[in-house]
Order: sequence, then C-alpha cells, then structure tokens
Amino acid sequence: MSTAAANVERAASNRWERNVPVYGFPVVNRFFLGLLVLVLIAFILTAYRELAGLGPVSGMNDAYGWGIWKTFNVMVLTALGSGAFAVGIAAWVFRRKKLHSLMRMALLTSFLAYACGLLLLGIDAGRPWNFYWIVFPWEWNMHSPLAEVAICMSIYAMIPLAVENIPPVLERLWYFDSRLRPGVELIEKRLHYFYPYIIAAAYLLPGMHQSSLGALMLLAGERVHPLWQTPWLPLLYLGAATFMSFGCVAGTTMLCCLVWKRGMDMDVLDEAARITSWLIFGWLGLRLVDILFRGALPTAFHFDRFAGVFWLEVLLIAGGGFLLMRSLKTHDPQPMFVGYILSSAGGMIYRFSPTTLAFRPNPEALYFPATVEVLVSLGFIALGVLGFLVAVKRFAILPAPLSEWHDMASYFRFRRPYIRWTGYFKYGHFGEDETEPTTSEAASSD
Amino acid sequence: MSITRRQLISGIAAAGVPAAVAVTVGTDVLKAGERVEIPNAAVGLLYDATMCIGCKACVAACAEANDTPPDTRRDNLHQAPSDLNDLTRNVIKLYKPEDGSAFSFVKRQCMHCLDPACAAGCPFQALHKDPESGIVSWTAENCIGCRYCTITCPYHVPRFQWAGFNPRVTKCELCGHRLAKGLKPGCTSVCPTGAVIFGPRSVLLLEAKQRIKSSPGRYYQDRVYGETDNGGTQALYLSRVPFEKLGLPELGPESVPAKTLRWQRRFYQYFALPAVLYAGLVQVIRKSLKGHEEEAHQREKETGLRAQL
Repeated sequence: MSTAAANVERAASNRWERNVPVYGFPVVNRFFLGLLVLVLIAFILTAYRELAGLGPVSGMNDAYGWGIWKTFNVMVLTALGSGAFAVGIAAWVFRRKKLHSLMRMALLTSFLAYACGLLLLGIDAGRPWNFYWIVFPWEWNMHSPLAEVAICMSIYAMIPLAVENIPPVLERLWYFDSRLRPGVELIEKRLHYFYPYIIAAAYLLPGMHQSSLGALMLLAGERVHPLWQTPWLPLLYLGAATFMSFGCVAGTTMLCCLVWKRGMDMDVLDEAARITSWLIFGWLGLRLVDILFRGALPTAFHFDRFAGVFWLEVLLIAGGGFLLMRSLKTHDPQPMFVGYILSSAGGMIYRFSPTTLAFRPNPEALYFPATVEVLVSLGFIALGVLGFLVAVKRFAILPAPLSEWHDMASYFRFRRPYIRWTGYFKYGHFGEDETEPTTSEAASSD
Repeated sequence: MSITRRQLISGIAAAGVPAAVAVTVGTDVLKAGERVEIPNAAVGLLYDATMCIGCKACVAACAEANDTPPDTRRDNLHQAPSDLNDLTRNVIKLYKPEDGSAFSFVKRQCMHCLDPACAAGCPFQALHKDPESGIVSWTAENCIGCRYCTITCPYHVPRFQWAGFNPRVTKCELCGHRLAKGLKPGCTSVCPTGAVIFGPRSVLLLEAKQRIKSSPGRYYQDRVYGETDNGGTQALYLSRVPFEKLGLPELGPESVPAKTLRWQRRFYQYFALPAVLYAGLVQVIRKSLKGHEEEAHQREKETGLRAQL
C-alpha cells in the first residue's frame, strides 16, 4: 500500500492544469528524418501506383478485393483515432470533467489518423477522380454502408474535426504577436458560437461511420467466419473503437510523458483507465453473449487459424482490461500502459479480422500484402506520426502541470534572449509580466 | 403569449422523438419471407447444366459480343480463362468429384439478382438495376473503384481490372447493346445444344418447371435455382449435381441485402433518428460548454494565464 500512497502523493504534485508545447527540443532530429524518408518513399510509390494500377503494387486479387490500405490503415487506424469521439463523449456528454485535459491529444490524434486514412483511401480507390459525386447527394446510394462511410468520414474529418483542432493554432497566434490578438479573439468568439453544433456533429458522425464500418462486412454473409459474422457487427465495431481510442489517447499521452519527462496526473489517467476497463468488459460481454446465442462457440475450439486469432484477440483484450483494473488499485502507470497496449492490440486484431484474417472468399484464396503495399501503408502512418511530432512541439497539445508553463516561459526568456528585442515579453506573453507595474496598476491591485 | 426557447425545444423534442422512433421501427423494409418485386419486363437466362457439353462456344461469343480481347493469359495461345476475370464475363467450369460420381459443367455469369447485393453496396450507384428489364449494369462515370461489389456479391461475379491507371469493373450485362438491336445475348446465340436460352424470366421459369415435370428425378431437388434463392435471380439454373458444387450457394429465399441491412436501412430512413440524436446532443453540449467556460474563466482569474478552451 505504501507504493500506492506514494503514487497518489506524486500524482498530487503532477496535476495536469494546462496544455504546454514540448519546448526546447528540435523538431528535426534523426527519428524525424527517418520518418520523412518513409513518407517520401510512400509518395514516390504512390505516383507509381497511380500509373501502373493496383495489381502490380499490391497483393490484392479477385478473391481479396481489399488489402491493408483499406483494412488496416482505414478500418483499424481510424478506430485508434476515434479519441475525439470516445473521450469527447465522456468529457462533454457524460461530463467526466477530468478528461478535458486529454481532449487536445484526442482531437489531434483523431485528426491525423483520419486524414492519413482518407488520403490512403483515395489512393486505394481505383477510379478516385469519380469521388466528385460526393457533392451530389442525389447520386448517393443512401442505404449503402460504404457510401455512409465514405461521405460521413470525409465530412467529419474536413469540418467538425478540423474546426475542433483550430483553438491550439489560434492560441499560438495569440501568443505570437500582440497585434494579432484582436483578430484572434474575434475568430474565437465566432467559433464559440458554433461550437455546440460542431461538437454535436463530431459525435454523431463518427458514431455513424464507425458502426457502418462494421456493417460493411454484413453483406459478405457467410464468407466471414461465424465467430465474427453477426448482426451486431456494427455495434461491436463501434465498441471496439471506443476502448481502442481511449487506449490510443491515454497511452500516447503516457508515452509522451515518458519521452519528454513530464509528470503524469494519475487522477486523470485513473479516470480514463476506469472508463476503458468498463468499456472493455462490457464489450467482451456483448461479444461472448452474441457468440453463445448464435451457437458459434464450438468453432472457437477447432484447431485452425480462425480459433487462434479469436483466442489471441480475446486474451489480449481481457488481459489488457485486467491490467487496467489492477492499475486502478495501485495507481501505477506501468501496468496501465501495458494494459492499454494489450487491449488496443487486441482491438486492432478484432477490427482487422472480418475483412482479412477471418474472411474466406474461397478455400484456395490467399492474400499477403506486397512490399510496395506495406511501404505505402507505413509511409502514411509515418506521415501521421510526423504531423504529431510537429504539432506537439509547436502547439500546446500535451497536458502538463502548471509549473511546466512557467518553466517554458523562463526557458524562452533565458535561452532565447534575442526575442526580447522583438518586444515579445512586453505584453505579458506566457502570463509572465516583465514590465514594471505602473503606479495606477499597483494601486488598483492593492 | 410568447413561447420561450425551452418550451420550443421541449415541444420539438416531444414531437420529434416519437416520430423518429416510429420511422425507424415502422419503416417498410422487406420482412422475412416477403418476395422482392420482379421488374415488368424482366429478362434472363436459363442454363440447364445437364444439356451443356462444355464446348465453350459461349465464352468466345461473349468476348466477341462485348468487344473484349480474348483472354489467352493462361498459355499465351488459347482463350481458356480459368475463372471470371477482367476480360471474361462468362466462363464454363467443370465440376468433377474425386469419387467418380456424376460430373457437371457450369456456366458462370452475373445472376442479375432481383435484389442485387452489389448494387445495394455500391456507394454512388455505378452498379444499377434497370427498373424495366432488371439488367444489372455498370456505369464507368459513377464508379470510384472501391471494389466493394467484389466483396458483397454472393456469387463472386463482378471482377476488377487490376492493371492500368483506368481500371474497369467487368460483369455480364446481358448484352444490353445487342438486346437494343433486337439480337439475343452472345452466349445464347451460339449454344449448340440449347443449354443456355434467353427470354422473359416468367417464360424461362415455366420452361424450367416443365422440364422438371417431364423428367422427374433428373434434376437436383427437382427445383430451379434462382426462383426464390437470394430473393430470386434472373439467371435460372437447372442441374443434376447439388447447386453448391457449382458455386451457387444456398442463400435461402431472403435476399442478402434484405437479410443483412434491415437495421441499417431503418436507422437511416429519412435521417430521422440521426437528426433527433443530433438535436439532443446539441442541447447537452450547449450546457456542458457553458459550465466548462465558466470554470475556465475562473481559473484564468486564479492563475493569471489565458484560458485554454
């Protein structure tokens, strides 16, 4: 118990009160350059794919019409990127106020996951120039799950999600130059007026398309293994997205805290872990009850790859949920982090299975991604990580204790003294007022 | 007497929620056992596997009728596609069991389902069922190349062209261009034994039943595949061996889209349920936002740092 008490004590001094940029680290480093190389390779291969067609660059074939670009980069990674949806609903609709400090991380990771997924979706489409039908609603097939996904996802990423990510940018402009402040404040005021409508859309749209992603495979019928094929597939897909995205947001935040040596607020992380563990066990319960009622349980005890994938997935998710539960007692970040990793990995396998691992179009059919396919897929993941690194170092995204903000202010004051010449601190940037208090101000404060 | 905003909102909610629920639950989607509507001038094919000699004249005639180069990729010599592909709308396959029991040829082409799964999934209606003739055809201008049709079709018919920057989806369109000229589809015009014939679906169905009646025990289960299977198809099959062996799965009388997308269709009917959910969310978030802003400004006063919203 003494360690638990120590953890709580440590948490008290680490209370996340403000989002602070990761200052003092260069944006361009070896890791960044490595990612950049991956992105450039992917862009070059993409150009090649547009000329040569899908066949020469991918392992897709007549039986497996969908490869990892759709089934991994879109179906799996947008589930990890549903933080703006899941954490947002917990914070804004169910009013878990502590989670507000994780919201900027959630919005950023969601935006990057969706943007990179949508880019790859455009590359994966054989005839992308026909996407312009998206602006003519009378050409939509309203009852098609894929139309729902394509339309809803693009609208979501381009409007509500993008708008929700504007505040950190405006904030940077506000601190950047005092002459910009009136304009920035005016834009903020306008934005605030529309916020309820934008935020509500940001919860409705992902709820719709994350479940429609599950509905996609309903039409495939019995070609999806009975352990996965169920009328509840839409709900299970949505549920998997909620706990996976909690894992992504909280896990990424914890990883950032480790990498850039920031304090972890165990109050907030406990709250996130508690919600995640409930989501995990509720989801597992629904999944097992569904399998029992459909009578598909015996297939889980066949000695084949489907049963293997099923047990791997269930054990990973349950193990992750168990670790999260246990970490709530000790307030220990280590099992919590491992719990997030395990449960998200299990969720990723679940989201990947109906389209690929458990999809059996015919007995001879095989699909394995080609090298070019994997490189492009990796390149677009690297693009997302790249965007994340730039954003957390340039904008106030990561949550931190208040002291971190003051440390940042003094860092800039002493390590970058030349910015004094620009009058950077004259207007109380970072809240650190350097000017001598005038007599009238001193009088009023007294 | 004026109406306050609260009254207005609660009034809308009181009317809107039951309306949305009624639309969602009461929407007239096909129920189990209900028949799909058959187009007035539905045309189709009747293929009798017991009469087919496997000469593949229909394969060559199909390629010719559709102006497709012969698929000689197998041995660089013969037009011998092993399955449907981006150059092959129609193929003859052989089912030959290991134990030496009855073998059978099968002609595979689009079934022109009465309720096609490919068209149900197609996002921008590139695959479209003609309301008159019932022919399911593909329009290049609407296709984004998502290949969802290759996943949804229970008969695995539409095929995607994997090579080239301008790929197409290939499937039998019942030679619509020949029908317009008063000609029969390519495959039926050359069949030497009459194993595949073309005509109105109702006539073909009567003919098939007549054949079953005149030679009882000759056909598997004495039934026509496609009469009710998958909600009914416009290509009808007669066979000696089980239909499943010929690549025609037993899907039951309900069509795949009606079976699987029932709730999907209800939830999005007239967008009623999403609209009500949206209105409710706006109200809840409006209230949370107000509380959150007040707290943020309170903290702004305490810390002297600008509020981060």
